[in-house]
Amino acid sequence: MTCTTETRGYDDSPSRLVMSRDLYRLFPSSPMENPFQETLLHRNRAEPCSLVIFGATGDLTHRKLIPALYNVAASGDLPPQFKVVGFARRDKPDAVFRSELEAANKKHSRQGHSDELWSSFGQSIHYHRSEFQDTEGYKSLKAKLDQFDEERGTTANRLFYLASAPEFFDQIMEQLGAAGLNEPAPGKWARVVCEKPFGKDLKSAHHLNEVVNSTFEEKDTYRIDHYLGKETAQNMMVLRFANSLFEPNWNSRYIDHVQITCAENLGMEGGRGGYYDTAGALRDMVQNHLFQLLSLVAMEPPTDLSADSVRDEKVKVIRALRPLVGPEAVGKNVIRAQYTAGSVNGVARVGYREEDRVNPESNTECYVALRLFVDTWRWQGVPFYIRVGKQLPKKATEISVHFKKPPQVPFSTAGLAHNGENTLVIRIQPDEGMSLRILCKKPGQALNMQPVKMDFHYSSSFGKASPEAYERLLLDAMAGDATLFARRDEVENAWKFIDELEHAWHENPNPPPMCEYPAGSWGPKEADQLLQEDGREWRLL
Amino acid sequence: MDDSALTMPSLTPAPEALARLGSEVELGKIDSELNKLWDQDEGKTRASLLNFAIYSEDASSIEPNVDRLDRIIALNACRALLIIRVPGETPRARAWINALCHPYQGRQAVCSEQISFVLEDGDATQLQNIVFAHLDADLPLVVWWQGPLSQNFEERFFSRIDTLIIDSSTWSDPVSEFDELATALATVTADFDVRDLNWTRSHFMRVALASCFQDELAQRKLPKLTDVEITHGSGQRSAALLLAGWIGKRLGAVLEDGERDLTFHRKDGLPISMVLNEGPEGHALQGLALRGEELCVEITRGADSEFVRVSACCGEHSHEELMPADVDADADLVADQLSRAGGTTLYADMIPIMRQLLTR
Repeated sequence: MTCTTETRGYDDSPSRLVMSRDLYRLFPSSPMENPFQETLLHRNRAEPCSLVIFGATGDLTHRKLIPALYNVAASGDLPPQFKVVGFARRDKPDAVFRSELEAANKKHSRQGHSDELWSSFGQSIHYHRSEFQDTEGYKSLKAKLDQFDEERGTTANRLFYLASAPEFFDQIMEQLGAAGLNEPAPGKWARVVCEKPFGKDLKSAHHLNEVVNSTFEEKDTYRIDHYLGKETAQNMMVLRFANSLFEPNWNSRYIDHVQITCAENLGMEGGRGGYYDTAGALRDMVQNHLFQLLSLVAMEPPTDLSADSVRDEKVKVIRALRPLVGPEAVGKNVIRAQYTAGSVNGVARVGYREEDRVNPESNTECYVALRLFVDTWRWQGVPFYIRVGKQLPKKATEISVHFKKPPQVPFSTAGLAHNGENTLVIRIQPDEGMSLRILCKKPGQALNMQPVKMDFHYSSSFGKASPEAYERLLLDAMAGDATLFARRDEVENAWKFIDELEHAWHENPNPPPMCEYPAGSWGPKEADQLLQEDGREWRLL
Repeated sequence: MDDSALTMPSLTPAPEALARLGSEVELGKIDSELNKLWDQDEGKTRASLLNFAIYSEDASSIEPNVDRLDRIIALNACRALLIIRVPGETPRARAWINALCHPYQGRQAVCSEQISFVLEDGDATQLQNIVFAHLDADLPLVVWWQGPLSQNFEERFFSRIDTLIIDSSTWSDPVSEFDELATALATVTADFDVRDLNWTRSHFMRVALASCFQDELAQRKLPKLTDVEITHGSGQRSAALLLAGWIGKRLGAVLEDGERDLTFHRKDGLPISMVLNEGPEGHALQGLALRGEELCVEITRGADSEFVRVSACCGEHSHEELMPADVDADADLVADQLSRAGGTTLYADMIPIMRQLLTR
């Protein structure tokens, strides 16, 4: 199949430039006064800063954050005199910390590892030992950051990254505030990046937001959702709003339904069962990642590309979700399930309740399928089917938009392949790209139709690998662009919806059943029935 | 810059060079022969984001250009046209087709089509016909015009181009070539971006320099800048001139008419002296130094390094950074340009300054 795609410079679009100029107005002391910066207007520029990572000895720092920062440096986008301070409880000198991170970078860096670059980048990394609740530890952190400023000869901006477990957020925020680290110097900024999970329900999310917002203003709070840093997720707005082919048809008149699938072919490997069994698929994936994707698909066009304009439109989608209240409504529209023993790619897998660190009597779902409705003018009557699960046949995250069939009066339906509607598929991972299924006439004397697929792969069309999501998101946080981060009202509205489902499952004498599916299958038969009763079926990935 | 720059073009293609172009086909059968090529192997995926044409009037450039296309296509799936114009007694055109394939995710081959033409005594009309008859419709047209902008570079051709890639360092008469380019850009029907590899080679220096002035301490010292020194590779003075012109422009400084040296003057009348030093062969730009009261910036690129070392001082404060340098080979520079978003308004602004600098 031929793949042809016209390329236009997204980064250079007028709206992108407007956003950049807005940023300069917000931070007048920064790049606008640098006369040599003009060539770089089309992209966000990270501003000079120190980054403090709380929970710096953890997996996230080693696998994602440091490799992302290294790759930002390799691309020449790291601001000058940049400093990273790892804040954690274990005792270790800078040299040991650097050497551990160097080993991790060699394993995980997207662009490989250069000893020459690391010798410079590594010098920017420092370690700070302290308990999260230790007031003195924060005072000495402040002294360390002040010392960096002294060496620079100027006060720098500060970015605090909470990569620790969420139960420590309270202490960290309180201590940052007590040490005055949340107060930026005049003309500078202090920001905080929060990793997921951002709460486990509305109450805890509200509490966390109160804690964070009592220390940092909402405009300085960046709640990370790495799905939004993925190239295809960012491309959603371009696809919808820059192509006149799609936007006029992007409504209930032409779209039959939308499916969002996040399939994983792994289970609870690496001790993940301990956390997962307290969360479940709904909290772990749907509340954040999948609702973010749903928002991008269903949102109205923003008035501009500023962070708040985009997020205003996204939150309206979450607010417009038709509530599912009570066990009956939940049971009718949401299927939860656990996997039983089976096999994936020929390898035997145990059932969920037999997994390491999982309660043998666990009532936690590792698969969930939902039928949702967005009650807006645009989407009236269009179901959004979402499914996410562990131990499915393959790893894939995608959005598929299924268009209505046209009246086929002139054509014989004989010979028309099953499921012949136009389908636009946006692949989020792996193999980021898009495909469009259209109908064409089969060659021959008879008039028979056959679906064919036009396929676009980012990696085969654009030879350069896309930056990792964390590279983009860290740069954006340093540049003050919160577009790809979740805002407080998005998070709380999502939890408000999810809480009703959790209540129906766990706080009700007659909860909807927990279904089962063998590991390696595409989920429980009840999830298939959810669509079958609407005359539809899940897309075969 | 490649070794071929500024040498006399060869007039006749060598047989071994022609053999690298793939299968020779009749001009009228190019499309059907391409279809046959794809039918041979269903495991191959044809991909195309743009039309990319190389035009050269040097017969000896066939083999290096085949190598360049291979590298460019690996990063930018496209319909590739290689057009070599050579002198001849009567107009004649020959064509070859080839598929340039690269592994994708370790199992599948992603391929781009390459169509090559040798035009004997080809004029502007023949060139336009050859290019416009073999484009992948609806995709942008990028033309890498190698060598001087000859008589074949005329309005009906350049008015259809989306991006023009040139290398002004290879021009033997840059003053008239820049005039030619400025005239083309000023033509009402012209709507193309210009990517000058000579300008692209200074990209990493410009980024590194910008990084030195991101904090206000350094910005405050900038008005005290008095001296700029640029070290360029042997025979690469024009790359240094472009960088010098850009620095002067960004600082709002101008060259005084009638003077022969490279002293720019700010609006307040204070001079900025620019000195260009020729270094050894190698990278086009090898060093940049800015000096003034309580201000120093040194950006240097080692002969074998992929990075530049940046050291800056403001008063008693100093710091050093390592930043990436750009790729060297022309093909890699072009591949980078094609995959980089953004227009070239800035370069268009540089043309009048360059015209002024070339006379000094």
